[in-house]
Amino acid sequence: MEPIRIDPKRALEEALRAQQKLAAGMRTLREVEDVDYGATDKEPVHTEDKVVVYRYKGKQKPTARAPLLICYALVNRPYMVDLQDDRSLVKNLLALGEDVYIIDWGYPDGADRWLTLDDYINGYLRRCVDAVAKHAGVKKINLLGICQGGAFSLCFAALHQHKLQNLITMVTPVDFHTPDNMLSHWTRCMDVDLFVDTLGNVPADLMNWCYLTLKPLRLNQQKYVAMLDILDDKVELENFLRMEKWIFDSPDQAGEAFRQFIKDFYQGNKLVKGGLKIGDREVSLKNVTIPVLNIFAEQDHLVPPSASRPLGEHLGTKDYTQLAFKGGHIGIYVSGRAQREVPPAIHEWLAKRTR
Amino acid sequence: MPTRPESTRAQDDWQSLSRQYWEAWADATRKAFGAKPDEAPQDKTPWHEGLEQWSRFFSADKARDAQSEVVERLLAGARSYFALLQSLAEKGAEGNADPQAWSDALRESFNFPGADAALIDNPLARALRELAGQGAKGFEQMMEDLQPALNEARTLLGMPAFGYLREHQEHYQRMATAWLDYQQETNRYNALIARASRRAFEVFENKLAERGEPGRQIDSVRGLYDLWVDAAEEAYAEVALSDEFREVYGALVNAQMRVRRHLQQEVERVATDLGMPTRTEIDSMGRRLHDLHRAAKNHAENHDALHEEIAALRAEVERLKTHGKPLAPKSVRAAGKTAPRNARKTPGRE
Repeated sequence: MEPIRIDPKRALEEALRAQQKLAAGMRTLREVEDVDYGATDKEPVHTEDKVVVYRYKGKQKPTARAPLLICYALVNRPYMVDLQDDRSLVKNLLALGEDVYIIDWGYPDGADRWLTLDDYINGYLRRCVDAVAKHAGVKKINLLGICQGGAFSLCFAALHQHKLQNLITMVTPVDFHTPDNMLSHWTRCMDVDLFVDTLGNVPADLMNWCYLTLKPLRLNQQKYVAMLDILDDKVELENFLRMEKWIFDSPDQAGEAFRQFIKDFYQGNKLVKGGLKIGDREVSLKNVTIPVLNIFAEQDHLVPPSASRPLGEHLGTKDYTQLAFKGGHIGIYVSGRAQREVPPAIHEWLAKRTR
Repeated sequence: MPTRPESTRAQDDWQSLSRQYWEAWADATRKAFGAKPDEAPQDKTPWHEGLEQWSRFFSADKARDAQSEVVERLLAGARSYFALLQSLAEKGAEGNADPQAWSDALRESFNFPGADAALIDNPLARALRELAGQGAKGFEQMMEDLQPALNEARTLLGMPAFGYLREHQEHYQRMATAWLDYQQETNRYNALIARASRRAFEVFENKLAERGEPGRQIDSVRGLYDLWVDAAEEAYAEVALSDEFREVYGALVNAQMRVRRHLQQEVERVATDLGMPTRTEIDSMGRRLHDLHRAAKNHAENHDALHEEIAALRAEVERLKTHGKPLAPKSVRAAGKTAPRNARKTPGRE
C-alpha cells in the first residue's frame, strides 16, 4: 500500500488555510501587546547584591508548618513556576496551603564575573535559606531545587543539612555522564578554561543557541510551523509569546561559576563520582539524610531522566521518593497535566514529613 | 475527439491549482493589509513566493515591532513548510507514489531558488543557520568584517619574524594560524552536519516505508512534514551523540575561542596605544573588588556572630551580679548560639 496519499487539492487547501491563518495573524499580532507574566503577587523579603528572595502572597493563610523555598537555575528566569494564572506551580501550591518563597538570582553583569559556586551555594543560597527561616520564624525550612538549582540544592543539603527539613529536586541532573545526555556530551572536549578566560561571563544568546541546536528542526522550525495553527487565537498566541519570552529571557552566566559547573559537574561528573568541593568543603551526597523527593520528566531533552533517576542510590537518606512525570523539561511546569499532578504530589509528600 | 495526454492534463490541473492559490492569497493579503500584492510570479514557485511577499509586508508593517523576533522565526519556519507544500503537491499531481520519489520531492523542497549552495540537500545546516542568536551570529559577522585583515596576515604566515616589530608579526602569524584552524574545524563540523542531513533522508524513507500499512498512511502535508522532522531529529541525534561529533564540536569551540582571544589581544594593544583601559585591567580590578566584597561579607557575618556572643556574655554577667550564679549552659546557648565553648565559663570558675 502507498505510504502517502496526498491529494493535490487537499494540499492546496492546507496551503490556503495556512495563508488565511497568516493573514489573521497580521491582525492578532497587532492586537497583542508585549506579554506580561507572573500570576501571583509577591513581596521581597531579602536582598543581597542582585539576588532577591520573594514571598508569594496566597489568597489564604498558609497552613504548612514550614516554608518552601524554590531555588531556580541560573540559566533561566524563575517566573516559569508562576507563568500565568492557569499555568502556575506556585499558585497551586499556595492553594494547597504551602508558604512559598523563591530566589531570583538576577542578571549577572561584569561585576559578577568572579562569582564562584562557593559564592552561590555557601554564600547567597545559605543566606537566602537563613532569611526565609527568620522571616517564617522557624529553624528549618523545606527546599525545592529546579534543574541546575536542584544540583545547587543537593550540594547545599550535603553541606548545611541542619538548616533543612526536606529536600525536593525537580528535573535535576545528578549523573552527568549518561549516554543520552547530549549537552554533557558536547562539553566533554571543550577547553572550558580557554572558553571562560576568553568570554568572561558567558552570553545568554550563546547559551540559547546551544540549547536550540539540541533539536534544531523541532525547536527552530516545527514549533513555528505549529504556531500557524494558533495565529487567529489571541489567547493562545499570548500563551505562545509568553513562553517564547521566557525561553529567550536568559541571564548571562557568571564566568567563574560557569567554569566550575562545567568542569566539575559536566566534565568531571563529581556529584556522583566524588571529589566535588564547594569552597573548601567536599560535597558528599551520602551526607544527605533528610527526606528527598526527586521529580523528573520522562521526555526531558535537556536533563534526560537517566541523569536524574540515579539520585536515590547516591544519597544517605532512607526516605527517598521519586516521581516520573509524563512530559518535558518545560511541560512539567506549564502543562495541564502538571497543574493537576505536580503540586498535589509535592504538597502531600511534604505534609507527611514536615514537623 | 482526441484524448489529451495524462501528463498534459496533470500539468493543466496543477497550473489551475496554483492560480487558485495565488488568487486566494492575494485576497487574504488585501484583507490583512489593504495592500496590493505583486503580480503573480512567473516562475514555478508561487507558494514560496507568497511567503516572501508576506515577509516583505511584515517588514514594512511597523505595528509588528513588539513581536518582530517571533514573526521572523515564524516566517523562517513557514518558508520551509510552504516550499514543502508546493513540492509535495506537485509530486501528488504527477501521481507518483514511490517513497524514493517522495523523498526526492522533499529534498527538492529544501533547495528553493536563491538558496545558498552550501545548503543544497542539507536541511539541517539550514536549520542551524537559521538560529539567530547574537552570541553566535555576532562572531560570524565580526569574522566577515575582519576577513581582509586576516587574509593580509595569512600572507605573513610562512615568513620569519625579525626586527623592531617582530613581536607584532609573530602575533599576526599566530592569529592567522588560529583563523585557519578555525576554518578547518568549521569544515569538519559542516561535514558532520551534511552527513546527518543525508542520514535524515534515509531515516525518512524508512519511516515512510513503515507507513505503507493500512491505517498508517499519511494524507496531509503537515503529517508528512512532522514525519520528516522526526526523521531529521533522529538522524541528527545519532550523529550529535557520536564520539566523533563530541571531538569535532569541542575542537570547533576551542578554535573559535583561540581566534577571539587573539583578536582581544589585538584590540587591547590598540587600546593601550590610545591610552584606554583594557579588558585585562578591568578584569583585574573586578577580581580585587570581588575578593574585597567577599571579605567584607564574611567580616559582617562574623561581626553579627560576635555581637550575639557579647550579648550572651552580658546577659550572663547581669545574672551573676543579680543572683550570684551563672546561667544554665542551655540558656546561654539559646541567647547566643555561636558563643564559643570558653565563653560559657565564668570568671569565678577559672
